[in-house]
Amino acid sequence: MIKNKKVHIAKLFWKITFKNKAVYILTFIVGILLAYAVFSGWENFKTQKEIRIKYQEQARQDWLDNPDKHPHRMAHYGHYAFRPKTPLSVFDFGMESFLGSSIFLEAHVQNPTNFSEAEFSTGMLRFGEISIAMILQILLPLLIFFLGFQSIASERENGTLKILMSQGLSRKELLEGKSLGMILVMSTLYFPIIIITVFLWALLQEVNISTDQVYRLLLIVVMYFVYLSVFCIISVIISALSKTSKTALTSSIGVWLLLTILLPRAGQSLGSYLYQSPSKAKFNAQIENDVVKTGDSHNPDDTHYQALKDSILEVYDVDSVTQLPFNYSGLVMKEGEKITAEIHNDHLKRLRGIYARQNSFSRYLAFIDPYMGIKNLSMALTGTDYNSFMDFQDQAEQYRYHLAQSLNDLQIKHVSNSAKSSADPDYALDKKHWGMIEDFKYQPLQIGMALRSELISFLSLLFWVLLLVLTLNRLSKTIKIL
Amino acid sequence: MKLLFINFIRSNSVEIGLSFIVLAGIISLLVGKQHIEKINRSIDETARYQQEHIERHAEYNKDDLGLMLYYIKFSLVNSTPALNALSIGQRDVNPSVKSVTIRTLEAQKYDSDLNNPYNLFIGNIDFSFVLIFLFPLLIISFTYNIISEEKESGIWKIIAVQSKNPLGFVLKSFGVRLLVTIGTLLFLYAITVPILGIAPDTTFLTFFLVSVLYILVWFAICFFVASLQKSSNFNAIILLSIWILLVFVLPAAINNDLQSRYPIPEALETTVKQRRGYHEKWDMDKELTMDKFYAHYPQFKKFTLPEGDFSWLWYYAMQQMGDDETSEQSTALREKLGQRNTAASWIAQFIPTLHLQLSLNDIAKSGLDNQLHFLDETGRFHERLRLYFYPKIFSEAAVASENWDDFKVEVFSDETPINRTRLYTPLLIFIVLFGTLGWFIFKRKVHLL
Repeated sequence: MIKNKKVHIAKLFWKITFKNKAVYILTFIVGILLAYAVFSGWENFKTQKEIRIKYQEQARQDWLDNPDKHPHRMAHYGHYAFRPKTPLSVFDFGMESFLGSSIFLEAHVQNPTNFSEAEFSTGMLRFGEISIAMILQILLPLLIFFLGFQSIASERENGTLKILMSQGLSRKELLEGKSLGMILVMSTLYFPIIIITVFLWALLQEVNISTDQVYRLLLIVVMYFVYLSVFCIISVIISALSKTSKTALTSSIGVWLLLTILLPRAGQSLGSYLYQSPSKAKFNAQIENDVVKTGDSHNPDDTHYQALKDSILEVYDVDSVTQLPFNYSGLVMKEGEKITAEIHNDHLKRLRGIYARQNSFSRYLAFIDPYMGIKNLSMALTGTDYNSFMDFQDQAEQYRYHLAQSLNDLQIKHVSNSAKSSADPDYALDKKHWGMIEDFKYQPLQIGMALRSELISFLSLLFWVLLLVLTLNRLSKTIKIL
Repeated sequence: MKLLFINFIRSNSVEIGLSFIVLAGIISLLVGKQHIEKINRSIDETARYQQEHIERHAEYNKDDLGLMLYYIKFSLVNSTPALNALSIGQRDVNPSVKSVTIRTLEAQKYDSDLNNPYNLFIGNIDFSFVLIFLFPLLIISFTYNIISEEKESGIWKIIAVQSKNPLGFVLKSFGVRLLVTIGTLLFLYAITVPILGIAPDTTFLTFFLVSVLYILVWFAICFFVASLQKSSNFNAIILLSIWILLVFVLPAAINNDLQSRYPIPEALETTVKQRRGYHEKWDMDKELTMDKFYAHYPQFKKFTLPEGDFSWLWYYAMQQMGDDETSEQSTALREKLGQRNTAASWIAQFIPTLHLQLSLNDIAKSGLDNQLHFLDETGRFHERLRLYFYPKIFSEAAVASENWDDFKVEVFSDETPINRTRLYTPLLIFIVLFGTLGWFIFKRKVHLL
């Protein structure tokens, strides 16, 4: 019986909402936007994917086409790593536009990740991009507020609330019924939309969809449902707390602005204000200084390399490096590569530490602002977040190191000590070696890793559900009927 | 009028709205200040480290100028006008300093800055954000219930009876709110001068004027919506929807469209091709490379290739080929970016929010246009360095013969003039359009007033 009343209220609310013609107009507009988001997202994904695959293959072909030459020439020839776009980026562009797409991988140098979309954009990019995620994260909550602000406040204004109560409806039933009704209304809009987009997305895929992607998608569908339900309940609570439907509307709009526009920027600004990150010049100079301190192969008088030379001469019992049974300058470069890579990675780790502290505000903000929770979680699930990007950078750096050291090993083994320069054709190495070094292939993070990095965001959304249920409970004791 | 003013300003929600926007404005100025400080720090550090870096390599490679110039980088700074603090634009993404060696330019021209992408992604609360996003909300909250509120509370009948000219009352109500809004804007601009140390010159005035016009656009829109004489709730929803359309939906949709209409495969093409252009020369007949090099720079024909496997003349000629053989792709890339920029400014004329953002970026030298000019100048800077050092390397000049202290960081200042007609006209058209539209609807519906 009790359950029936609640369900009855919910059904009634659903019916009334869909009697309003404005709902159809708003839903229609959102529908058009979604269709546009799917197709422009797909278009962009396809173009970018093709471009990157084409040049990744081109870069490899160029590498293989090299004739016999000195291995160190190949170490400078290097390779490129082009960041592949994840198929799920069609849903959520995430940070894609602000992340570089290509790294040149060569010996001695850790090059920056270049060519982000933002570097070639006008100021327009700052208004954001239309993606399915953006519509679900920003526009749908507002639509929910528009549909929900009257739920209780207008019944109070009309005096119908008094009648309902006198007929034996409890406050708890009222609040829960209205919340349920709101969630029902939202589901009627959300599920068809999301099912169609998932279906369209699957249709557009030219390759098989992996199980990893299926899990990701499922989780996306569920978590967005949780997120939107949070907004449904918030809208009922605001309506219950407002004297008139006008104050309910203005407060809802205020809350929406705060959560989606102001808090995210304020949190990140505070983070970057408190934790200063170094300039590129300083970062590079610090690395250079550390290299000089540890051992600088460019310095003819460097003590580290002097010691290395002395010890090797002693072990092999020879007077000069030219008498060694292996290529000495290859060995020096191998040692140099090891030192600079270690120092660079060390500094990079510290830099990322600063960035992580800057971003921690945005991360923990999710407990105040569910928008940040879903934003971070959604990016992680679609592989468009900073973690996925760092993973790409790390894999590229590992490949670079492996490439440089493999070529140093070839030089140590095959090149004579009497070779004066890498231009000397007499000491060229057979080109068959180039194909033996495998191509760079990025392995995307698995869903488990993605979730682990966004555990906080995941928990924050659950926290919100709990918080709102508790608030509803408390409110059912204190809410004013008149 | 005076009563209207007092009545308006004493309202609780107005006080909240005003203090909120002033707070946001002050925060935005601090954000801008931090942005400028960050750039200046970066420039100072670049200058200091460039000095140390050159000194160190002059020491290590004291017998080999060619080898020294293989390593050392020279920096060019994109000068940052103080106004940049008000409209950060793309200056947080794009580096304000470019450091290059005299080797292949295409391999280093687009090197990105060191940034936390999350900061770029979330976006800045700079003054242009407060102006473009938040001021319209203030205006909407001030005006969405003009007349409708009076009608809903029943006061309107009294006003209509007492006042001979109800439309005049409406205009005065709008006037009061306009004055308060402009006053707030003026206040924020006034504190900008001491906080950011911006000189109140004509550029600053232009910046201010275009902001005022933008605010007038929003008042005109609100005036138009009020003329429809619907309920307060209806007005609020419609105005907010217009706001969302103008600050989210339209700019974002156009951005998506521009990205897919002007994809830039040329960027990756150039970068992959320059590698081959340079490296394949190692395996070719030296004469082939030298012929091409001499054809580009006939003035260096007097330097002939020395005996032996390796020489710096040959080396830098090979490096030069990395650029020469990608000039077609590089030009295509530059053209594509120019097209993106032109298409964006053209379409922005029809969308006031977009127009204002792009215009403010142009005035503050923080847009794509400025970035492209800076890249062009980086090319010229690089060429100057080459022309200066090439003959010295080829004639094997001594490292010590150069006064390395003279190689300071150079500064590029973008002096592209602002087209004021293009700046003001679109906004004026919007003001006149919505203003007169509202006026006529009010006149027609005057019996409802």
